[in-house]
Amino acid sequence: MSNPLADMEKPDLIFCIGTNMTECHPVAATRIKRALKRGAQMVVADPRRIPLAEMAELYLPIRVGSDVALLLGMAHVIARERLVDREFIDARTKDGEAFLEHVQQFTPEWAAGITGLPPADIERAALLYGRADKAAIYYTLGITEHICGVDNVQSLCNLALLTGNLGREGTGINPMRGQNNIQGAGDCGAVPANYPGFQPVHDPANGDKFAKLYGREMDGEKGITKVTALNRCGEGIHAMLIDGENTVVSDPDRHHCEHALRALDHLVVIDIFRTETAEFADVVLPATAWGETDGVCTNTERRVQRLRAAVTPPGEAKPDWWIVSQIAQRMSIAGFEFESAKDVFNELCGLSPIYAGLDWDRIEHGEYNWPVPHKDHPGTPVLHEGEFKNGRGLFRVICYRDPAEVVDDEFPVWLTTGRRLQAYHTRTQTGRAAGIDYLLSEESLEIHPDDLADWGIPDGGWASLRSRRGAIKIRARASNMSPRGTVFCSFSFSDVPVNILTGSGYDPVTETAELKVCPVNISPFEE
Amino acid sequence: MIAEVKPTATATLTLDGVEVSFTEGETIYEVAERAGREVPTLCYDARLEAFGGCRLCVVEVDGMRAPVASCTTPATAGMVVKTTTDAIEKHRRTLLELVASENRENEVDELRGHASQELKSLLDRYEVRGGRFAGRQSGTSNSTDDNPFILRDYDLCISCYRCVRVCAEQEGDHAITMMNRGFEKQITTEFNGILKDSACTFCGQCVQTCPTGALGDRKAMRAESLPGEVEKTRTVCPYCGVGCSVDLLTKEDRLVGVQPAMDGPANEGALCIKGQFAFDFVQHEDRLKMPLVRDEDGELHETDWETALDRAADGFKKAAGEHGRHAVYGVASGRAPHEAAYTMQKFIRAGFGTHQIDNCSRA
Amino acid sequence: MATNQELIEQWWKEEAPLLPLLHAFHDRDGFISEEAIRAVADGLKIPVAEVFGTVTFYHHFARKAPGQAAPRVCTGPACKYLGAPELLKSLEGATPMACAGRCDDGVPVLQGHEVRVGRTADSLEKTPSPLPPPNPGNVEECVFAHIREPERNTMEGYRGYEALEKARGMSRANLLALITDSHLAGRGGAGFPTGKKWEMVEQAEGEPKSIVCNADEGEPGCFKDRAILDYDPHAVIEGMAIAAHATGATKGFIYLRYEYPETFQIVERAMAEAEELLGDGFKLYLRRGGGAYICGEEGSLLNSLEGKHPFPRNRPPFPVTHGYNDLPTVVNNVETLASVAPIVMKGAEWYRGLGLGEHAGTKLVSVSGDIQRPGNFEAPFGLPLLTLLNEWCGGAPEGRSIQAVTMAGLSGGFLAGDDLDVTLDEPSIRAKGAFLGAAGIMVFDDTRDMVEVAHCAMEFFAEESCGKCFPCRIGTQRLTERLNGAAGPADETKWREEVHDIGRTMMATSACGLGVAAPNITESLVKYFPEQVAASLKNGR
Ligand SMILES: Cc1cc2nc3c(=O)[nH]c(=O)nc-3n(C[C@H](O)[C@H](O)[C@H](O)COP(=O)(O)O)c2cc1C
Ligand code: SF4
Ligand code: SF4
Ligand code: SF4
Ligand code: FES
Repeated sequence: MSNPLADMEKPDLIFCIGTNMTECHPVAATRIKRALKRGAQMVVADPRRIPLAEMAELYLPIRVGSDVALLLGMAHVIARERLVDREFIDARTKDGEAFLEHVQQFTPEWAAGITGLPPADIERAALLYGRADKAAIYYTLGITEHICGVDNVQSLCNLALLTGNLGREGTGINPMRGQNNIQGAGDCGAVPANYPGFQPVHDPANGDKFAKLYGREMDGEKGITKVTALNRCGEGIHAMLIDGENTVVSDPDRHHCEHALRALDHLVVIDIFRTETAEFADVVLPATAWGETDGVCTNTERRVQRLRAAVTPPGEAKPDWWIVSQIAQRMSIAGFEFESAKDVFNELCGLSPIYAGLDWDRIEHGEYNWPVPHKDHPGTPVLHEGEFKNGRGLFRVICYRDPAEVVDDEFPVWLTTGRRLQAYHTRTQTGRAAGIDYLLSEESLEIHPDDLADWGIPDGGWASLRSRRGAIKIRARASNMSPRGTVFCSFSFSDVPVNILTGSGYDPVTETAELKVCPVNISPFEE
Repeated sequence: MIAEVKPTATATLTLDGVEVSFTEGETIYEVAERAGREVPTLCYDARLEAFGGCRLCVVEVDGMRAPVASCTTPATAGMVVKTTTDAIEKHRRTLLELVASENRENEVDELRGHASQELKSLLDRYEVRGGRFAGRQSGTSNSTDDNPFILRDYDLCISCYRCVRVCAEQEGDHAITMMNRGFEKQITTEFNGILKDSACTFCGQCVQTCPTGALGDRKAMRAESLPGEVEKTRTVCPYCGVGCSVDLLTKEDRLVGVQPAMDGPANEGALCIKGQFAFDFVQHEDRLKMPLVRDEDGELHETDWETALDRAADGFKKAAGEHGRHAVYGVASGRAPHEAAYTMQKFIRAGFGTHQIDNCSRA
Repeated sequence: MATNQELIEQWWKEEAPLLPLLHAFHDRDGFISEEAIRAVADGLKIPVAEVFGTVTFYHHFARKAPGQAAPRVCTGPACKYLGAPELLKSLEGATPMACAGRCDDGVPVLQGHEVRVGRTADSLEKTPSPLPPPNPGNVEECVFAHIREPERNTMEGYRGYEALEKARGMSRANLLALITDSHLAGRGGAGFPTGKKWEMVEQAEGEPKSIVCNADEGEPGCFKDRAILDYDPHAVIEGMAIAAHATGATKGFIYLRYEYPETFQIVERAMAEAEELLGDGFKLYLRRGGGAYICGEEGSLLNSLEGKHPFPRNRPPFPVTHGYNDLPTVVNNVETLASVAPIVMKGAEWYRGLGLGEHAGTKLVSVSGDIQRPGNFEAPFGLPLLTLLNEWCGGAPEGRSIQAVTMAGLSGGFLAGDDLDVTLDEPSIRAKGAFLGAAGIMVFDDTRDMVEVAHCAMEFFAEESCGKCFPCRIGTQRLTERLNGAAGPADETKWREEVHDIGRTMMATSACGLGVAAPNITESLVKYFPEQVAASLKNGR
């Protein structure tokens, strides 16, 4: 997030797109609700009539995967109505002219044709966003899990740059992270393109620095992503170490995924449960869980916070860092003589510029948002204040692209996936919490009541859901949240393996899977 | 918080004979609290709009006919405030005796909720032993609501409305309300039903702000009969990326519950159903307790660490030896701490000189 | 019959829509169904739980049939001795209600939109409310000066808004100065100087400003506002318009108690007649309460108007800066507003001169109970109470004598014995520990059991306590239990100690006037009637 969570109570206009915040980030959503009470207005764009939509001044039920078209249409109106922040563009951005020229062709009428929205609503959304003094954008996987995920994010940046809604309180572009330490995994360098602290691997200076620190030559080329790695299992990738991820259930295209793991010579899984993924492993190593481990995590607003152990781990479970270090030591890799989480974290702080001002003792109370470049620095709750890290904010010229697969006669319905309030991820954790079943005991497919009737499926009856990759059986439920022609379910229940269906395509840059769009065919289930 | 900028003092008032400064907008209560006075309260929750219901916080202000509620009265320049005169203390004691008289009991297990000891501690502080002001009890416990999370034991309710206000002001769900008026006031949901049929999201915030334990954390209460003291450990919720601060409740190495940290920078006392109630995966019987290796028979078998670690290391050595150093790939977790992700990437980079490392953010 | 949607359409864009919308459903169905609550919540964008809670607050909103169609019988302190308990029993499906403001010719029975009055089931009759009798002391009147003229409650009988015209010809400053100079003070109970209140609103920032006429008149034994609105509604409307001119307000609300349905129609008609004279710059709305004494308290009233749970508001801030919709608002009593036009016409000096001695102006007094000639009287401030009771009202019924009277309806507690020798003005009455307030005076003769009267009074406060603050919510309940023997010590010393401790803490710490005033009942009971208390304790009540 460019701005802190506390800022969510401050915008005049809140633009939520592709985020079912009340269910996925409920505590963040409480701040939005307070902002609304205070008088802020909200525009919500989402294919489903999610709870946020009910609170919005304007709800835009866009067709799945059409976000870029909506955002181009909005940019067009903002430019036409002269709601652009000239001063900001001149002082702090680059390529604004090209972008302004580019959007001239994308009228709301054009965008309406793709998004399925009335042109007047696109117009109104643009005016609400463009006229607000402080407008903030919030998004999650509804923006990124598309083949055009990067384009979506860029389009949002374009809007913010156009109107100067960056670097100030109550503004910004704010992705909400879905997992407690997904931000931290990136911070720590568990990505193919960056060393810890987002130091690019292609920069030779960084290569030299880490060669010295880690005592060996470093590739100057970035690594491949996990998605590519799974594609290359058995052909280039032969061994994998997977820490705490239930790949088989959470990743798209389950059959492909299982096939890939089987093709490995060697798979080591570190986890707290014997997950579906662990069943493919040669070695499974028991890790300590949350509540049993000391450590550090970073939340979605870049706040670095301490995790503390409260109970003894079961049996012989060990901290992840200890396990990895032990394997490394057995392979004679130098620099794994850690004795505590503190040792590990302090080493990280020593080589990551964004953590340079931090250490284990300083973060005792979680008061810092990175970057914290030196010991006297108070942290950086708002990014891009005064100036962008890389100089000027770049406008990008972006065009709309169709999703990898679009509905046709055989697969005439859009399936979109997501999460539910009471379940988390693949339910390895929430599924084992007493009481959760009282509220959510099984997965079901949300279908507009009229579609349900048209397709001859009784409410609560079984349906067969088929995509180009496979078929599953799922209970059907009437829901007014789903628009006609679009259905929804979560990926949390392994007995309803939705990821057998998904996986139609990937964003070419991030290789994030298009989990939000999958054309399907639905029929009453027959034994 | 980040080195908080001290409010610039603009005016002063006299508090129990001492001159103290305050900023405009502060209430007498806030000024008194800052100055270290322990003004008793029951309807007050610093996160909520001051309500002025319990009247325990009354103080004397020169020139006022009657005591004023310090929680709702703005501080003004030159005010002369007395927080603990004999008369005030007597009123407070009477108020507490009145409140004590309307409940079935006033002592509950601390596992019921974060604020559950507030009433009891005040009764102790004012040495209220009960017995005076006998009469009918207020509030009727809801015995039909069988939800596994929230006990609704309104026999203990003192109508402070913190639950209703926290649900409206903090959580924004407006799931619960106040029915009837006067002594018949009753906390309930729309149409006096059960929480599951209401707008309730089971965030638990009402439970945690209830000063009497009328609302109780049913999951934590399972451990009431376990031996040992309740201990609290501050950490961060394991679910979404908001990063809510929580206190883990333990009893002799048993994780028995979770409470939100009222001073948590990301959540300020809020949680959702997952952070609040979905903690028992930690000491679940399904947990992996021993390393497993796949044997000749093709099945995973328990083994010791030495064997398992050797097997793990050998496999990577072999793969790199046969297929080159780019053949080994690491997937770090988005849920494990930094130390896990850091060592994972270091393992790949220091071990193989490659960047064959990623995390699960793409799924 | 209107559909849910039609009702919502009719009201959702209106000012203060919740109450009228609830009434629309209540009138349509006879009660407020679950479906209605959901529709209202959805239509007004208020959470369902909140609407539900608010509906349950008002005693007159029924939640099931026969609801509005069932008779409700006043069992207030005056009606109680006029046969109300027997009447209640004899009417099928009847339920009791708190004092409904017809103490001068009780017992009122409210059914649907109709009030019938009588002592027995057969004698119930729909009659106009009693007109104030000609002034027995022959003193010059202000508010009642023209009320007895025929057709006074029509525009024709009222003969136009001359005072408004005159006021509109004056500058705001001069008009404010005139009202201030007249020493007119609030007649709703608190007696705040009216000119000062208007001036504060005039000066407060924020628009639009509002004038709210407090016609909730829920205090038992008070029925003067009813008389004004039934027989001289234009005086009040004109007063509001003058207040609007003085303060710059553009909106006005009349908040009328539920129990006056006929008055509602009279005022509604008068408002229609006045629309043209008021002009575009001042829009007037009539709102009907739902049956809650506390909604006469101005903060509660404003919350009720705004569709919120009708708890009193914390003060400061006051309505003059944070009133309706948190904007500057004048809240004035009916009688206060009715005094304005005469003052504008005749001047400040004239008004001041109406009082006796150093006391300025007049006060409407409602006398009821054990008295020969109950009714509303306009008395000069400073009139001896005994003159009022014995000369104006003919004293106690034949063969009986006055044992005690209540002051300020019930809120002032009892006066008895030598302390009846007071004059009608606050300094004199406050010196005896009571207060005049809205000047409802209920008389109890020597045959009455004063502990029983006190119990009836305290029960009223307990039932009307809003439940916001601890001292009043629990205190009124505990005092009631101590007066009817349901709980509490049997030992007299201990009983007195508990009652006094509770009372003192209620007076000192309650959040609004209800809880502060309620213990006046017990304190004065113990003061004047210790033997009756002792006897009642001894008999186990
Ligand atoms: C419990 C309670 C009930 C009240 N009821 C009424 C009422 O019915 N009518 C009224 O005019 N004022 C009532 N008041 C007084 C109002 O709060 C307010 O002071 C008054 O309307 C101001 O108008 P005035 O200045 O013209 O008297 C009540 C006050 C309290 C505490
Ligand atoms: S658990 Fe949360 S949502 Fe439910 S009633 Fe309590 S505060 Fe409201
Ligand atoms: S349930 Fe608890 S928090 Fe709610 S009103 Fe009662 S005592 Fe207060
Ligand atoms: S004194 Fe009584 S009526 Fe007034 S706020 Fe308190 S509880 Fe409500
Ligand atoms: S804390 Fe002030 S009234 Fe309760």
